[in-house]
Amino acid sequence: MKIYSLIIFLLLGSGLSAQTAISGTVRSQKDGSLPGASIYLKGTYDGVSSDASGHFHFKTLKTGNYTLVVDFLGYEPFSTEVILNGKSIQLDVELKETFSKLDAVTITAGTFEAGDKKQANTISSLDMITTAGANGDVFGALQTLPGTTPNGESGRLFVKGGDSEESQTYIDGAYVQTPYNSTAPNTATRGRFNPFMFKGTIFSTGGYSAEYGQALSSVLLLSTNDMPSQDQLDLSFMSIGPEIAATKLWKTGAVTATLGYNNLGPYMNLAPQNYDWKQAPESTFGAISFRQKTGKTGMFKVYSSFDDGNFTLAQLDLNQEKMIDYGLDNRNFFINTSYKTNAGENWILTTSSSFTRDQDNVQFDGNSFKKSLNGFHLKQVAARELSRKITIRAGAEWLTKSIQQTYHSTEDTFINKYTNNTLAAFIEGELYASKRFVARIGARVEYSDYLQRSNLAPRLTAAWKLDQNSQLSVAYGWFYQDPSDDYLVYTHLLNYERADHYIISYQVSKSDRTLRIEIYDKEYSKLAKQSQGAFYIPESYNNSGSGYARGFDLFLRDKKSIKNGDYWISYSCLDTRRNYRNYPEMAIPTFASRHNFSIVYKHWFGKLRSYPGVNYRYSSPRVYNNPNSSTFNNEHTLAYQSLDISWSFLYKPNVIIYGAVTNLPGFKQEFGQRFSDNPDGNGIYRSTTLIPGSRRFYILACFVTLTRKGNENQLDKIQ
Amino acid sequence: MRTTLISLTFLLVSFAGMSQKNEYYKAMGESLGQYATCRTIEDFQSLGNKFSMIADAEKGEWLPLYYHAQCYTIMSFMEPSDAKKKDDYLDVAEKSINKTVEMAPGESDIFALQAMFYSARLVVNPMERGQKYGMLSGQAVGRALGIDPTNPRAKLIKLQNDMGSAQFYGKDPKDFCGEAKALLTGWDEFKPKSALHPNWGKQQVAEIVGSCN
Repeated sequence: MKIYSLIIFLLLGSGLSAQTAISGTVRSQKDGSLPGASIYLKGTYDGVSSDASGHFHFKTLKTGNYTLVVDFLGYEPFSTEVILNGKSIQLDVELKETFSKLDAVTITAGTFEAGDKKQANTISSLDMITTAGANGDVFGALQTLPGTTPNGESGRLFVKGGDSEESQTYIDGAYVQTPYNSTAPNTATRGRFNPFMFKGTIFSTGGYSAEYGQALSSVLLLSTNDMPSQDQLDLSFMSIGPEIAATKLWKTGAVTATLGYNNLGPYMNLAPQNYDWKQAPESTFGAISFRQKTGKTGMFKVYSSFDDGNFTLAQLDLNQEKMIDYGLDNRNFFINTSYKTNAGENWILTTSSSFTRDQDNVQFDGNSFKKSLNGFHLKQVAARELSRKITIRAGAEWLTKSIQQTYHSTEDTFINKYTNNTLAAFIEGELYASKRFVARIGARVEYSDYLQRSNLAPRLTAAWKLDQNSQLSVAYGWFYQDPSDDYLVYTHLLNYERADHYIISYQVSKSDRTLRIEIYDKEYSKLAKQSQGAFYIPESYNNSGSGYARGFDLFLRDKKSIKNGDYWISYSCLDTRRNYRNYPEMAIPTFASRHNFSIVYKHWFGKLRSYPGVNYRYSSPRVYNNPNSSTFNNEHTLAYQSLDISWSFLYKPNVIIYGAVTNLPGFKQEFGQRFSDNPDGNGIYRSTTLIPGSRRFYILACFVTLTRKGNENQLDKIQ
Repeated sequence: MRTTLISLTFLLVSFAGMSQKNEYYKAMGESLGQYATCRTIEDFQSLGNKFSMIADAEKGEWLPLYYHAQCYTIMSFMEPSDAKKKDDYLDVAEKSINKTVEMAPGESDIFALQAMFYSARLVVNPMERGQKYGMLSGQAVGRALGIDPTNPRAKLIKLQNDMGSAQFYGKDPKDFCGEAKALLTGWDEFKPKSALHPNWGKQQVAEIVGSCN
């Protein structure tokens, strides 16, 4: 009987025990009182949310020891032990902001980043493709960003007073030896890679990470798409040729095969051309891309492509004063693999490799010139997160490059070749002091077995968040690169060329508007020079060159002010001089122009199912050398101007029709003059003006996507 | 005496267990009742807090996580302009959705909510995310309807997606009015598994039908 009374007493007792009142406030150091925070006893249903002034109050019937949790989005959860015994509990809690790299300050000095990440990007992958005038070329689109100078006779990237050879391209961490198509001298090239392959792009115009070497001016880091989401067949019909791509998925992997054929012949028969093409550019290309997930976090990617292109062009030979045929046949094979996986809790391992085999076979005037390149790159990087605020990355790489140039004339054959193995290692730490300050400190060492030289390159960048919307970023570093292949085939007596970067960048961005100002100074030293001696003598080369490039860049991006409209404006001011190669003295290099301006505008018209775009570019006159003049590099080209338009029309969700015109108003463009090697009988060097292949360029295309569902389209591959 | 004691102890233990479960039903019932009074982002956040607390106390139940994710997805839709905040809310929702997918992969409503979540990601930046998230949302709806072809919430989200993309492509969203009306008429034929299971959406369909006239 006793036991019953005890139980009843216990039961009643628990019912009778007093309520405990818990109250208090939730605040944060930065934002003051926090409304909407969740306050509750862990493992129970007792809790409330803080009110508008951060106060909370609730009662509980529970007794004993409990954990009180205070939780709010963006802050570290707070918990404390409480004893519930009927006595009121008063608690004032101050929450600390969560540290997350995603919304912490990021290093922006010199860098334009794009991708499908959530944060607002300066330029996204879609932008790169829909930009008028870029014609679907990654490098073309990048030339609408500040810091670049368009060189119509080259098409390559010239960044902040740097030569195009000073810019390197990486795909999934692996070095790309031949990012550009082969072209005839003084004609514009394009990138070999279709922009829709990439999910993210980082274009760094200086001050980049110690992971990247062999680039004095800039690196372009492209990361390829992960798994496609469905089986599909893409058909493209362009005015220059058809392309077909098929994607097949399985549970943990996918494969995409692409095959295409381009022939500019039919187009060139319709549109007036400035050049005398004997055989229009024609190319056959194919690619296979393979994705395989391994384990929980691993991803293995392979991209492999081949390209076979050729053309014959009649060009005026100023030395012989007659037209000669210039024929080129290029074969390029490229394979790129990468494997990324998490190892244990805090390690991320990335292995990348690439192999390139590129052969140019040039025929002119009965002579032939063959250039073959074999390149291999292997890189292993390990990253370890020591804490949430400190990450260490370290890696090693091996880069080998073999070049052979064979010149075959009616009388003679010359073969010049060299092989260079570069071994490199880097280490870099990224340290966050808080959400508002980050520093990245690193260093890189390289050794070349051909030059028998080594270098050590320190790199340092830091960024401060000044307030919610603005930040200041600085970068400093030493950058080394091997001298040009054209010299290394004749000599190994050279040292690395060097550039030191100093960059200060200020960026303010608020709800889809970004403004950026960057000031930089790049000091070149040890640039390779060719002295008066014969070009084939190794001793004719030395590292006595130097130079500088200084200036500022402005960038404004605004997706907000005009509904459905989106524009960006770039302006760069550049002051540069250098003494390199065969320059007799310090001079402005031919690829640099002082003022560069570009504006891109796009607008989505839902009713018309259309996404038209317009792009205007201006580049102030560049210099070129006239051997008839006594002053070096003292002649000026016309200022470069181009107004390009494009129109994408969504005929059906899976059918896109696209048209574009470059240089619509037909601005006169010329890129300087070419001169004969030797003066004529009157002591005059004969010359001819370099002009683009045609005044305007038109493209018309239709893209069809076939899937099981039938409504996916190819919006992301408008070219 | 001894047996009485033992059976009493059992009774007490099960009573305590019952009372925990009862508390769960009570807390869920109260919180679900609160939906009707939610007007602002703050309201949904405080309701989301409740579901998060319940989920923490009742680790085996997917429903509190489901509603937690739903609150944060709604918050993202309600946020007027700050894209970062929209994504922050969705990051919270995503964690809970992923947990529910693991806990109850056979629940049609979970994938319907996942589809709604992907659409919310898309809405943050339709131009750049349209392709990827439109596809993901479509696939999630497909899964929801694959599990239960009669789920009216899956049909509702499919309808909203179709109308959204029609609008984006300059077509008339009213082409879907017939479908909306049929959905509204047949809405009550679907019986939720319990009073706590998802039962929302009829009002949204009624609003779509209303806008058709």
